[in-house]
Amino acid sequence: MTFFVPRRPSPGIDAGRDLQAAAGSARLDGTRQKALDIGRGRLVATAGAFVAAFAVVGLRLVDVAVLDPDPARPVPHAEARTEALVMDRADIADRNGVILATSLPTVALYAKAAEILDVAEAATRLASVLPELDRREVMARLASGKGFVYLKRNLTPRQHYDVNALGIPGLYFEKGERRVYPQGNLVAHIVGMTDVDNKGVAGIERRFEAVLHGERTPLTLSLDVRLQTVVRNELARTVRDHRAEGGIGLMMDVDTGELLAAVSLPDFDPNEPPPATALAMFNRVTKGVYEMGSTFKLFNTAAALDSGRADLSSSFDARGPLKIGGYEIHDSHGQNRWLTVPEILIHSSNIGSARMALAMGGTIQRALLERIGMTAPPPIELPEVAAPLVPDPWRDISVATVAYGHGISVTPLHLLAGVAALVGGGEYRQPTLLAHREGEPVSGQRVVKPQTSEQMRRLMRLAVTEGTGKHADVPGYLVGGKTGTAEKAGNGSYRKKAVLSSFVAAFPMDAPKLAVLVMIDEPEANAVSHGQITGGWVAAPVVARIVAQTAPLMGLLPRREPAAGPKGIATSSRSGELAAVE
Amino acid sequence: MLRPHSRSNFLSRTEMSWRDKIWQINWPLIGLLTAVASVGFITLYSAAGGSLQPWAIKQMLRFLISLGILLAVAMVDIRIWMRHAYSLFLVAMVLLVAVELRGTIGMGAQRWIDLGFIQLQPSEVMKIALILSLARYFHGATLQDIGRPIFLLPPLAMVLAPIALVLKQPDLGTAMMLLMSSGAIFFLAGVRMWKFGVLLAGGLGAIPVAWQFLHDYQKKRILIFLNPDQDPLGAGYHITQSKIALGSGGILGKGLMEGTQGKLNFLPEKQTDFIFTMFAEEWGLLGGLFLMTLYVLLVAHGFAIAVRCRSHFGRLVSLGVTTTFFLYFFINTAMVMGLVPVVGVPLPLISYGGTAMLSLLFGFGLLMSAYIHRDLSIGRRGGHDD
Repeated sequence: MTFFVPRRPSPGIDAGRDLQAAAGSARLDGTRQKALDIGRGRLVATAGAFVAAFAVVGLRLVDVAVLDPDPARPVPHAEARTEALVMDRADIADRNGVILATSLPTVALYAKAAEILDVAEAATRLASVLPELDRREVMARLASGKGFVYLKRNLTPRQHYDVNALGIPGLYFEKGERRVYPQGNLVAHIVGMTDVDNKGVAGIERRFEAVLHGERTPLTLSLDVRLQTVVRNELARTVRDHRAEGGIGLMMDVDTGELLAAVSLPDFDPNEPPPATALAMFNRVTKGVYEMGSTFKLFNTAAALDSGRADLSSSFDARGPLKIGGYEIHDSHGQNRWLTVPEILIHSSNIGSARMALAMGGTIQRALLERIGMTAPPPIELPEVAAPLVPDPWRDISVATVAYGHGISVTPLHLLAGVAALVGGGEYRQPTLLAHREGEPVSGQRVVKPQTSEQMRRLMRLAVTEGTGKHADVPGYLVGGKTGTAEKAGNGSYRKKAVLSSFVAAFPMDAPKLAVLVMIDEPEANAVSHGQITGGWVAAPVVARIVAQTAPLMGLLPRREPAAGPKGIATSSRSGELAAVE
Repeated sequence: MLRPHSRSNFLSRTEMSWRDKIWQINWPLIGLLTAVASVGFITLYSAAGGSLQPWAIKQMLRFLISLGILLAVAMVDIRIWMRHAYSLFLVAMVLLVAVELRGTIGMGAQRWIDLGFIQLQPSEVMKIALILSLARYFHGATLQDIGRPIFLLPPLAMVLAPIALVLKQPDLGTAMMLLMSSGAIFFLAGVRMWKFGVLLAGGLGAIPVAWQFLHDYQKKRILIFLNPDQDPLGAGYHITQSKIALGSGGILGKGLMEGTQGKLNFLPEKQTDFIFTMFAEEWGLLGGLFLMTLYVLLVAHGFAIAVRCRSHFGRLVSLGVTTTFFLYFFINTAMVMGLVPVVGVPLPLISYGGTAMLSLLFGFGLLMSAYIHRDLSIGRRGGHDD
């Protein structure tokens, strides 16, 4: 063996040598020789077995790490439903069959007051087994003489037994069921909830009230609780760290329009809902309308490119503020020079975008926004939807401000569905909360040319690699996107310190599969964001963390950037100046 | 008996001096052990999100203490270990019974005795004691002895009694380890193949009976292993997530502290039994293969030491320790890659945990002792010169 320096000439494997020595014989007799052979053979066999086992583990490691192309496909499992109990209201499940809402059988205690013999005694004894009942109130109800009075809903089996054991005539039980939401806050805004009569009052529960009553099989939503958990965790962390008012996180399947995750913070626990007026009950995703800010430059640019009024090499004058009818438009990352179309997105130039919009005209701009559904309430399966606030009439000043996302307010869902259409080959697919059935065709409406979609992918990738969205990058996943930092309107003007920081993204940019939107409402600057409250510093890192965690779950493996990737489009001869702006 | 070689004569007759022993310490072995353990420190550091707390710092401390124990064990003459092999076995048996009695009084699977400063797992002590006892039993045996079935009954009882107790705890992983490492010692001692065949057939025949005694969760794990996709979010969750993490690491991995499956809440037991997944996610295929290479080197080293031992006892102890170490590695990695059912076996020297580390390095101490005293001839009954 080469492991040690031999201290004396060793005859290799010397199994059995000590036995031989103990016997004191210098010569090997037959038995000794045999023992030696067996010992040696066994050693070699064991070593061989170890080598084989190491080889198996090594090969399996290669297999799992490299050869398994699709590691994450959970099989939907239908057994999760309680088989024995037939409930009045069907379950609601996520796309993999995880239960989001289900029903439990309960009983309610009621009395036919006229049949009660001794009201005072009945009330006392009831209060003794149901301490949460007020004896006097029970007495008042029982004394009313009505044919039907509720005494208590949702008795536990134990309470049911105890009341029965009292043997008071005139007390009856009504069978019922109670809605339970095992995921708690996680999907509260989407699934919604029911009232005491088990009637849907919000979200999917309300929208599909009729369907849920008729069906036995669970209603399968497009959501994936795994992604929902990641998005909610990251969002909650950022909202907390930046002491923000709230947050919005969305993930959409670009190919089908399915919402895979939809989070609106603050949220609530539908098992113990707060009063209906609470801020937490407000679903920002579909009911909140916001001036989105710079993320809208994507639509403006797409409209200009698609109409042919501009191409990637067109330049626009961004040397100084743009004055229109008494208003002045400024740049927050001013370059004070002519900018090409890619540069306008990279530096997020308001002036350049406004000039681009004015050059193509309001009709083209408005037509695209209409095609991607920005002028109507979002077509989603929820009762809580809001109509966007659209400029009327669409004057020049509106054309200029809409170019960079002001003067028009839409819901976060609008924004994400629109971006998904831009990167997904130029076809708009209706956002949906219902799971898409495998193999069923998805209808899409063409909103921009495939070529425009291709250009937008490259531009969005460029905004991440060269521009304000650097913190959204995740190596190997080709994230592309656009930052937005919209000053919130208040007291008749815009408030500088109160902003809506957002980042809208899609990945992988060579063939986008998922679109992501993160919005943080009124973040405060902190050390991690280097004192910044902009989308590039607050929202973009959240997108990066979401992408890093969810991509493997969706079976997307990291890849190296294709050589002929988005970097292929040079920005201008002055590309040396394309340093990070934020 | 005298051998012509003067140095070996000197070694076999007298006690080696401290200086001689320290001179003989096998530093490459210590180096390899430290390298593997360091991989563990880095991974635990990353698992805690880039912090020495709560795992890495404690693990380092345990390693240092265990390393001290390794050296202490190595300094003790191999013949002393041989002389006390059976007593150690008895102590381990008493502890196993004690834990069984206490466990019945307590709740669930109580597998340790709290000594205050450390939680002593009698099953870990038994791993060492069993190797020593079997090695001692087979040390003086001739081929004719081993050929007699009656001769094999005492060691068989020595193996089966602790296994039965460990199974009752219930700790399937440790029971399997005990069974397989003792099997290896029987095999290396030269027990005939057909006897293994008989035992294997008997074992297979006993499976339906044993199945009755398994806990529900154990049955479920075996069924899930046979078909992991059946319940990907329930009992199959470990394996599915583990494979996702391994797959998402790719060839080069995601980089230190960039692992996501392991880092957040997806991967259960990321710092203990499933730490290999976490490591491979961050360091990729190449990292995984690098770690495997370290293990291969350690096992090969153990083998080489065994081959160099003059005494049958030293050789069998070395092989027993090496085999146990190998089994830890093999069962753990095969488990996280979905090749064998999920059983609670840690990745040796890397998984967070004190007792396994201590017992492993104690074992390596014996290996080292066998190396230091490799040129000692030990007579049939344990004396150096009888």
